[in-house]
Amino acid sequence: MPEPTGDHHYAADLDELEGTDRLLTEVNGLEVAVFRVEDDLYAVSNYCVHQGGPACEGRVSGILTVDDEGELIYDRNGEIVSCPWHGWEFDIRTGEHLANPRYRLPTFDVLVHDGEIYIEW
Amino acid sequence: MSTKTKRSFEGVATVVDTDVHLTESQADLMPYLEGPFAELIENAGEKYGGFWGNWYPAAGYFSPMDTGRIEIDSAGDPHELRDWEVEVLGVDRAVLNPTQNLGLGYVHHDELSAALAHAYNEYLLDTYLDDVSEFYGSAVVSPQKPYAAAEEIDDRADESKIVSIMFPTSGLHPPAGHSMYDPIYDAIERSGLPVCMHNGVSGLMASFPLQWRGFSRFMEAHAFVNPAQHMVNVASIITHGVPERFPDLDFVIMEAGLGWIPYYIHRLDEEYSAARHDAPELTQPPSAYFEDQFYFTSQPIEGTGDPNYVRNVIDAFGGQEKLMFSSDYPHFDFDHSDALLDIVRGGFEDGTVENVFSRTADRVFGF
Ligand code: FES
Repeated sequence: MPEPTGDHHYAADLDELEGTDRLLTEVNGLEVAVFRVEDDLYAVSNYCVHQGGPACEGRVSGILTVDDEGELIYDRNGEIVSCPWHGWEFDIRTGEHLANPRYRLPTFDVLVHDGEIYIEW
Repeated sequence: MSTKTKRSFEGVATVVDTDVHLTESQADLMPYLEGPFAELIENAGEKYGGFWGNWYPAAGYFSPMDTGRIEIDSAGDPHELRDWEVEVLGVDRAVLNPTQNLGLGYVHHDELSAALAHAYNEYLLDTYLDDVSEFYGSAVVSPQKPYAAAEEIDDRADESKIVSIMFPTSGLHPPAGHSMYDPIYDAIERSGLPVCMHNGVSGLMASFPLQWRGFSRFMEAHAFVNPAQHMVNVASIITHGVPERFPDLDFVIMEAGLGWIPYYIHRLDEEYSAARHDAPELTQPPSAYFEDQFYFTSQPIEGTGDPNYVRNVIDAFGGQEKLMFSSDYPHFDFDHSDALLDIVRGGFEDGTVENVFSRTADRVFGF
């Protein structure tokens, strides 16, 4: 298991994520959310690139899309967070805005060591 | 929900938000309903989910609010709304407008529409304006009953916190240049207040019934209707000489974005050059009336990702003197004050920042 280095900032204890899909923390003065999607952790900036809303505090959901036959389906449940100010949808894994990938929430690598979550910066 | 720290409005004495919304409900307004309707509906209660949705027909789209992705929790409470405006947007004065009562123009029952306008104005004063020093408001009127509307305007004109008259242009028929509305314009001009025009998606059903039937999604309906509805009413107002008949009246055109404004001013001038005979009351080209009597609110600013586009558009309609900041909070497409501040600061002189956020609104609304 890799050890935290000088680039790793302590964010939270792993058990704080127990029973919840995310936690919010502050690293170097920046608000960052750590999400659990399936068994992996993702760290995403909480400052919305649209107009500065708390992007990671909104609903975690899936998306409405179409399948190969053009039928409406609800897909990717748990992989998307929406900013509560205007509802822009972001991919938790990449920080990309689904409607226009030109807009992206900064994301950070996450390291778990000894029951502690670190964010790489 | 956490909020961000507001940007400094250095050099701007008083920041004005020219469009903030109440989210009035049936339960809010019923205690203020007067006259025969108060007695007539006394026992109707909340049967079948209430009657409000029948009075103001809705276009019936599945909106972004319906997904639960947008969480606006300070709507509906005057003090929370005030805190948002002051703490988050950095606003010193806010002009409150209705939500549901923007649709008064397509309430089928004319007398009921006039009674609802009166009830809304009472509710606005009683619940929001009397209590919160930062709040000012627009009194609404019913277009269907021009003489009742004129009386309502005369009654409200002296209220110190009523700073404009909302003429509900959403779904308005006939369009706003029709002479049947002259008593309304006359009363507004007499009051010294500006006339505000603000549309909404359900007006599509009344003004553009074929498009309403053809559009099955909120996105296409909403993208189209706000500017389209203004284009209908502004063309009508100009062609039929309303600003010529009411030269002291200021028009405030709200919530349709910016790019259509210079386009439409130029377009009307071109049309007038060829078809002046259709607008014989006019004594100058349409652009001159825009210059003298029209103002525009900023939200929803299209293209904030391309600040130069927005600056060019502002410049193209003389926004330095004509544009007023509006947030539209708490509606789903509200703008944070920073979005406009960054754009204006980045391309205009300090005087324009002051005009857009303060001075023009001070002049138009007469604070
Ligand atoms: S501020 Fe996040 S969607 Fe607008």
